[in-house]
Amino acid sequence: MADPLLKITNLHAEVAEDGTEILRGVDLEMEAGKIHAIMGPNGSGKSTLSKVISGHPVYEVTDGDILFRGESIIDMEPDERARAGVFLAFQYPVEVPGVSIANFMRTALSAKRGEEVDVFDFHDELVEKMEMLGMEPVFAERSVNDGFSGGEKKRNEILQLAMLEPVLAVMDETDSGLDIDALQVVSAGINKIREQNSDMAVLLITHYQRMLNYIEPDVVHVMVGGRIVRSGGPELAHELEAKGYDWVKNEAGAEAELARI
Amino acid sequence: MADTLTTSSDTGVFTRDQVEMLSARKGEPEWLRQHRLEAYDRFAAAPMPTMREETWRYTDLGSALSFDAYEFAAETKPVTAIRDLPAVLVDEIEHADDYSGRMVQVDGSVVLRELSDELREKGVVFTSLDVAVQEHPELVRQYLGTALRPEEGEVSADTKFGDLNTAFASGGTFVYIPKGVRVEAPLRVWRTITRPGVAVFPRTVIVAEEEAEVSVVDQMVSADAEGGAFCAASTEIIGEELARVNYIPVQRWGNGTIHLSTDRVIARRDARVTSLHVTLGGALSRVDAQCRMEGPGSHVDLLGLYLAEGKQHIDHETLQDHLSPHAASNLLFKGALMDEGHGVFRGMIRVAPGAQRTNAYQTNRNLLLSNSARADSLPNLEIGADDVRCSHAATVGQLDKEEMFYLMSRGIPKEEATRLVVFGFFGEVLEQLELEGVRKDMYGLVERKLLRNRR
Ligand SMILES: Nc1ncnc2c1ncn2[C@@H]1O[C@H](COP(=O)(O)OP(=O)(O)OP(=O)(O)O)[C@@H](O)[C@H]1O
Ligand SMILES: [Mg+2]
Repeated sequence: MADPLLKITNLHAEVAEDGTEILRGVDLEMEAGKIHAIMGPNGSGKSTLSKVISGHPVYEVTDGDILFRGESIIDMEPDERARAGVFLAFQYPVEVPGVSIANFMRTALSAKRGEEVDVFDFHDELVEKMEMLGMEPVFAERSVNDGFSGGEKKRNEILQLAMLEPVLAVMDETDSGLDIDALQVVSAGINKIREQNSDMAVLLITHYQRMLNYIEPDVVHVMVGGRIVRSGGPELAHELEAKGYDWVKNEAGAEAELARI
Repeated sequence: MADTLTTSSDTGVFTRDQVEMLSARKGEPEWLRQHRLEAYDRFAAAPMPTMREETWRYTDLGSALSFDAYEFAAETKPVTAIRDLPAVLVDEIEHADDYSGRMVQVDGSVVLRELSDELREKGVVFTSLDVAVQEHPELVRQYLGTALRPEEGEVSADTKFGDLNTAFASGGTFVYIPKGVRVEAPLRVWRTITRPGVAVFPRTVIVAEEEAEVSVVDQMVSADAEGGAFCAASTEIIGEELARVNYIPVQRWGNGTIHLSTDRVIARRDARVTSLHVTLGGALSRVDAQCRMEGPGSHVDLLGLYLAEGKQHIDHETLQDHLSPHAASNLLFKGALMDEGHGVFRGMIRVAPGAQRTNAYQTNRNLLLSNSARADSLPNLEIGADDVRCSHAATVGQLDKEEMFYLMSRGIPKEEATRLVVFGFFGEVLEQLELEGVRKDMYGLVERKLLRNRR
């Protein structure tokens, strides 16, 4: 079998500044083109995992490894990882005052392609992708996320995803903040991107089944206390929605007890 | 009066005789000679600033500036073709296409000036101060020294360099826009210094009569050279009733040059004046900018943008002087500091008793791009009226880590992400400028400096 696209083994990570450990041995494997969902209670480390995959300097990997296309990326800068094909749609997108979406995206695309992208081609492409996501073209000239509503910020994340065409898309709670109609539009957009780019793997972090109705996962993981404590098929998400996290927590707790004995 | 003043400090090559000679050589009228000499005597009597003074606390001019180290600029002959100008200017002037008039000063002399016949016929004056004295003596006499007029006898380190400029002013620019005339494209001025060790004293006077409109872009450019030059500049802007003036001085002297500028604005009833001080060049730069809201309804925007690298020191001293009611002033100065660059900002809003309904704001923001960079920011208010809206804010911050991670997570390398953030940071200032072409030029200059610094 070919190498998996993403292989995370025994990943431990802490807050670099004060040594607080957040990820305590994450194991995860994904193949190209697959959709994995990660669910789990607040504070269990889902966003941290997504940022560690992208290389956020606030976290330090203390053990384990992240292999992307067979090679370790933990010593790579965030921009190198991005150019290699890793994309993170942020749970809380950052405001960048004074930098327009158009300028931002053109800079990013030029960096990815290693040459200045043509202004006119770029503009056509941007407008087309904005239409697909139900965004008004005037947004292109607005400062990135500056004064955007919650839903607009999330759409903007997916716009960037559409423009940058990554190999691995990590989406951290893209569904939260979107109303029902917007969720439908954005999900349809994501599916369209996948149609055009069937090798793209998606790691989708969510609390709710509703997005998984549109984007059906191949595998569902449950994260508790900085580890993946359970993995299963799409039915696992339904089970969680019905029963809450307590039962996995209890199971995980019991497992931990056993391990200690 | 001269002999009652004691010369307190060494004036080096800047002697009273030199003022006499300069005035004689230019064949100036007696009133101007007197005006220069009085300014000279005040200059000579004023102490050199020291860091013990509140207004010079962070700027060590004394160790940087020695009046012995300079010589006067030679007078230069007129030039007819752009390509005969000093090399640093040629490309830039050839590429600047939107202008209503052009003027070039090389060292102490204006060597080229152009103004469309149409504007000339409307009574617009756009010429060197030297020529204006000959061709429009009454206008010059009426306006020179109206905005920059140190109170007699009251000399200090803060008045010293405005007076020095008045005493030795040479070349310079005189702009007069008659009532109701609108000059659409900007008047563009370039000044250069051809050799290190030269001292120049450009004086700009801009008068916009009732309902007149004009924009002046003043580029000060010289090549990097061992041992810098010295520029003591001064600008007076008088906006009469309902006038509209934009003034954009862009300081891009070569490294090593010391630049001291004393700039004054008077805004009369309902006048609107915007200035944007861009500081990119020189070793030590100090701009002392004041605006006086003399008429009700006047509105002045004082904008500033500075970017330091190496050991550049960039100091701004500002005063928003509200003398009449219902006026507004809005100051926004933003600086980014790389390497060991040092930014200093000291601002004051002063509202006179009776200047009710004043709106005055003052904001200075600094972005430190290296651990050795430094910024000191001291905003101040002095309010004598009770029905006013005033505020001041000052910040010194580093690049936001989350912002940088966000940009880099899209594949943008660190240096470029920094450039984007700095652009965004300056955008707040530049987007206030109505002149689109000038705004683009400024982004270009900032980009050039950031790219150069990276190497
Ligand atoms: N930079 C940081 N400094 C200190 N603590 C942090 C930092 N980043 C994360 N944490 C802590 O680590 C834990 C996991 O946070 P994380 O954001 O990864 O949770 P999450 O699973 O995404 O939660 P949610 O479902 O609420 O989004 C939390 O307790 C959080 O406070
Ligand atoms: Mg989270």
